[in-house]
Amino acid sequence: MTTQTSLSTFLLAGPEITLVIAALVIFLWGAFGGLRQGWLVALAGIAAAACWPGLALVPGELVASGPLSIDAFAAFIRGMVLAAGAGLCLVQAGDHFRSAVTHGPVRRDASTCEEAGTFLLLAGLSLVASANDLVLLLAGLELVSIPTYILLALKRTDARGQEASIKYFFLSLVASALFLYGMACLYGIGGSTSLAEIGARLRSPDARISDTATVLLPVALGMVLAGAAFRLAAVPMHFYAPDVYEGTGPANAALLSTLPKVAGVVVLLRLLSLGTGGTLGMMALNQGVAGPAAAAWLTFFWQTLAVLAALTMTVGNLMALMQTNLRRLLACSSIAHAGYLLVGVAAAAAADATLAGRPFPSPDTAWTGALGGTTATLFYLATYITATIGVFAAITYLGHRWPEWTSGPAPQPPRQEVTSVDDLDGLSSTNPVAAFSLAVFLLSLAGIPPLPGFWGKLSLAMAALEVDWTARATPGSRRVIFLSLAVVLVLNAAIAAAYYLRIVAAMYFRSTKRGVQADGGIGAGVAMLAALGLVALFTIQPRPLLSASSRAGESISAPHALLATPQASTTP
Amino acid sequence: MNPFSPSGRLLLVIVTPLVGAVVAWLLGSRGTGAVRQSAAVTTVITLLGTGWLMLSYLASPEAAAGEPYAVSEAAWLVDGPFNVRLSLGLDGLSLWLFGLSALLSLTAVMVSWQAIEEKPVGFYVLLLVLEAAMLGVFAARDVILFYVFFEFTLVPLFFLIGIWGHDDRRHAAVKFFLYTLAGSVLAFLGLLTIVLWNASHAGQLTFDIAALTAGMAAHPLPMSAQGGWLQMWVFLALFAGFAVKVPIVPFHTWLPLAHVEAPTGASVDLAGVLLKIGIYGFLRFSLPMLPDATAVAAPWIFGLGVVGILYGALVALAQTDLKRLIAYSSVSHMGYCVMGLFALEPVAVEGATLQLINHGLSAAGLFALVGMIYERYHTRSIANLGGIASRAPWLTVMFMVFTFSSIGLPGLNGFVGEFMVLLGSFQRAWSGVAPLWRTGYLTMAVAAVAGVVLGAWYMLWAVERVFFGPSREPPRDHGHTANSHGTSDDTRSAHGHASQHGHASEAAPPTDDLRWYEWVALAPLAVFVFWIGLVPATFLRPSADAVRKASGPSARAFAARMQEIAHPTGAAATADSLTARVPRQP
Repeated sequence: MTTQTSLSTFLLAGPEITLVIAALVIFLWGAFGGLRQGWLVALAGIAAAACWPGLALVPGELVASGPLSIDAFAAFIRGMVLAAGAGLCLVQAGDHFRSAVTHGPVRRDASTCEEAGTFLLLAGLSLVASANDLVLLLAGLELVSIPTYILLALKRTDARGQEASIKYFFLSLVASALFLYGMACLYGIGGSTSLAEIGARLRSPDARISDTATVLLPVALGMVLAGAAFRLAAVPMHFYAPDVYEGTGPANAALLSTLPKVAGVVVLLRLLSLGTGGTLGMMALNQGVAGPAAAAWLTFFWQTLAVLAALTMTVGNLMALMQTNLRRLLACSSIAHAGYLLVGVAAAAAADATLAGRPFPSPDTAWTGALGGTTATLFYLATYITATIGVFAAITYLGHRWPEWTSGPAPQPPRQEVTSVDDLDGLSSTNPVAAFSLAVFLLSLAGIPPLPGFWGKLSLAMAALEVDWTARATPGSRRVIFLSLAVVLVLNAAIAAAYYLRIVAAMYFRSTKRGVQADGGIGAGVAMLAALGLVALFTIQPRPLLSASSRAGESISAPHALLATPQASTTP
Repeated sequence: MNPFSPSGRLLLVIVTPLVGAVVAWLLGSRGTGAVRQSAAVTTVITLLGTGWLMLSYLASPEAAAGEPYAVSEAAWLVDGPFNVRLSLGLDGLSLWLFGLSALLSLTAVMVSWQAIEEKPVGFYVLLLVLEAAMLGVFAARDVILFYVFFEFTLVPLFFLIGIWGHDDRRHAAVKFFLYTLAGSVLAFLGLLTIVLWNASHAGQLTFDIAALTAGMAAHPLPMSAQGGWLQMWVFLALFAGFAVKVPIVPFHTWLPLAHVEAPTGASVDLAGVLLKIGIYGFLRFSLPMLPDATAVAAPWIFGLGVVGILYGALVALAQTDLKRLIAYSSVSHMGYCVMGLFALEPVAVEGATLQLINHGLSAAGLFALVGMIYERYHTRSIANLGGIASRAPWLTVMFMVFTFSSIGLPGLNGFVGEFMVLLGSFQRAWSGVAPLWRTGYLTMAVAAVAGVVLGAWYMLWAVERVFFGPSREPPRDHGHTANSHGTSDDTRSAHGHASQHGHASEAAPPTDDLRWYEWVALAPLAVFVFWIGLVPATFLRPSADAVRKASGPSARAFAARMQEIAHPTGAAATADSLTARVPRQP
């Protein structure tokens, strides 16, 4: 493993570089060449990035060079980011049509800025996934944040838009600062900016490390978690989401509810892998989790996340129950989904923490596989992104309601955007395809079988239940905590169904005299249908996605949860 | 796979309604007639396929050996040892319920023949999708697959109630969905816990129900303070899911609302099949897999069953709406199933499973008939109806048949089921429980007998008011005055008026009687009402072994517990702190 930056580093970063070049092309062509169809170039750029060799990786392999390391996890996230990016570009293309209807065909120059900004964001996210160095990780995260400010600012057409853009800007800066402080502490523990080296220090049996770590670890973890929680919109950094989603356009809301969450999950999992070193690290040391510092790290990790997960799920869902504005409702539901994702991360950390001090691969226990927490998280993330992009694509596609009928030469009333749940009344008779797609996406988010969201919740519940499975269930033990977390998770799924069903009920059970124009452009419609196709695919054949996420998960934490061989002690 | 092998045919039977749904959807542009005909043809084909499958099951060596029949497997969500499979098959427990689903689906389509005028395509598509899901629940051999079908049944029904229901349909649909979902997510966790427990003790992760049953017999979940009472918790989690579905009495509030608001076709499926899934779930999972917890909970749930019988009957007595009355009679009759199941006496459990079929036939028939009355007179209010017998004699005959089936007239099916349940309960009271408990069990059994009397009372009272007495034909131009339910904003009732005016001009009595499609809906049910009543052995024998096997572990655990209470030995008293926790007199 070379730590020097060399030509091969740039080769590894090929997809990101392609994305940045495409962004520059779109910026310049839009400014000077009068490019209007930015999304076509965008899709071409994504195709070029996806064709980059090295995206496909032999399972279990790790290619590292300089500050980059590409493992199965990074490859999985890259693929997911590119796919989501393609969907988001289409939604944005539709959103241009939509805003042109609202505000007239103005500000054509700005239209390509959005695609270009999204591209920078994608490149940053992809870098976060493959970063093996704190500095690059931070750079990647900033590359995610800064284009977001631009995207939000481009949509500040009214007071709410301005509020959204300013609110996000300041809060994001605070989150970044907190994150940076956490990183400084990590540097203090590890004495290096390389994640691999920090991880190695944490896992070393050296007592001095653990002394430093006892002081610095909680601080580092708290700060880093706060930063990640902002990206995820998890409690306690969740409160901005409804205002921002409401103030900005649906395309931006789609972006905010997917890509920053990916960033948050990636950061959390990368930091989690500091404690475990992934399967490769465990194999190298022949030990599950070595070193008191690593064990302490994982313990802090799961304890904090378990609390945050329970709070986030519940708060998000309870807030969503009270919303009538569609985008606010979806913002709250995205908070709840961040909570579900945290359950998986917490389960992964806890499952790895149980391996502390045990030999790996274990000779005396049988490693039979269930799903690990990381696998569950990644699988859930993919199903969530598919359905969420679909929902926002559908909302973008629907665009505006028909104006109130007026007679005589009175001036046309202003077009009214689809904003509230009531605006979807009777959609099943006016736009049956959009209504059906929306219903499928919402039911998938609610976790109704056999849609992909159900498979995601199944894997998360499984991951939470199997933590420390063989231990005795005493009050306050790790096992009981995760059992209760699983109970909270499924009850929240039932609560969530209430507000998703409200939307479905509005579309199917009510009638309307006004209807919806469906003027959101063909791009959003295509994105909606593509997401519907993916949902159908994951429903019928979830297997490839699950194996991909389990390969990716294994490079972060232990390959499978520990299930013990038959033992007599636990039977009564 | 050979499509004519048993497993191929089972797969085909489940897929046929889905294919039919697509066909119905494609025929949508041809109008209502084409859609409903294709739906009818689909259900008939499915029914014939099911009949063939069941006959070949009865003749098969697997049936004699108690093995599952027509087993097919395919990978679904697989990653390494984690494998959720599409695993289907029939056995003695599921055989009759599977057949009932196919039979009632035909009824559901037929009763909707004239009733559904708005958006017929969606209605029949959903009805067929629901049929596939119902067939799937009973054929699933994989826990997750079972759960997928179990919950998926909610989705088509949600839309059926919410779009084609009556006034308060939105509220009813949402309440039905959320109530059932809240229970079943807990059941889901319970099932996952069983899977994981089995995996950690058998050393291999499996979702196969048969393997799990065997695994739980070999390594039962802990039922002691040391093991965290895990078995009890899992039992309660499953109870949450299945009790709401049955519904057992404190959890029944969604049912009358859903039934009253649902269109007739959905009511038929809901009462006829979906309520049975709860009891089926107990019999498939709780009784065989969690015997110790079942033994502890059985007296309480037995009591809840009796409470349900009495409560349902008393509330039914107070109803003025015919459909609501039958909905509460469902609550009451499902009480017998609950009671029989948790008597844990072989006769009673067999009676309970037979009673599932009986109630499926009679409740579906009654709901269908109420729908027909509503179509004719646009009211379900008992006070506004009267003397229908003179105008619709055959309709009256059919209503009488299902009423007598429901109240357990000897010679009809209801009698056999209720008799077996009560017989088993008295047997349990006399010989199967500790002396201290005898009084309690006897009281409950006697109260259940009183429920039979109440059941006859409210049903016959309603029949007398609605069908006999002075002909109190509701005014033809009713709806807004006489009808408390079909009030103004209901667009369907406006359609109904139009067609009703057409009938009014003819005003000939025979038009009120059963039409051909109504005969098709009711006649098969009536045939089985008599068949089960006269030759119950045909239906009891194929499932007897499976039912005894499924309830066996719990029955033994209960017997052991009673033994311990009756003759507390020193060792048992110290080892089992459990008995001290349970009051002697439930």
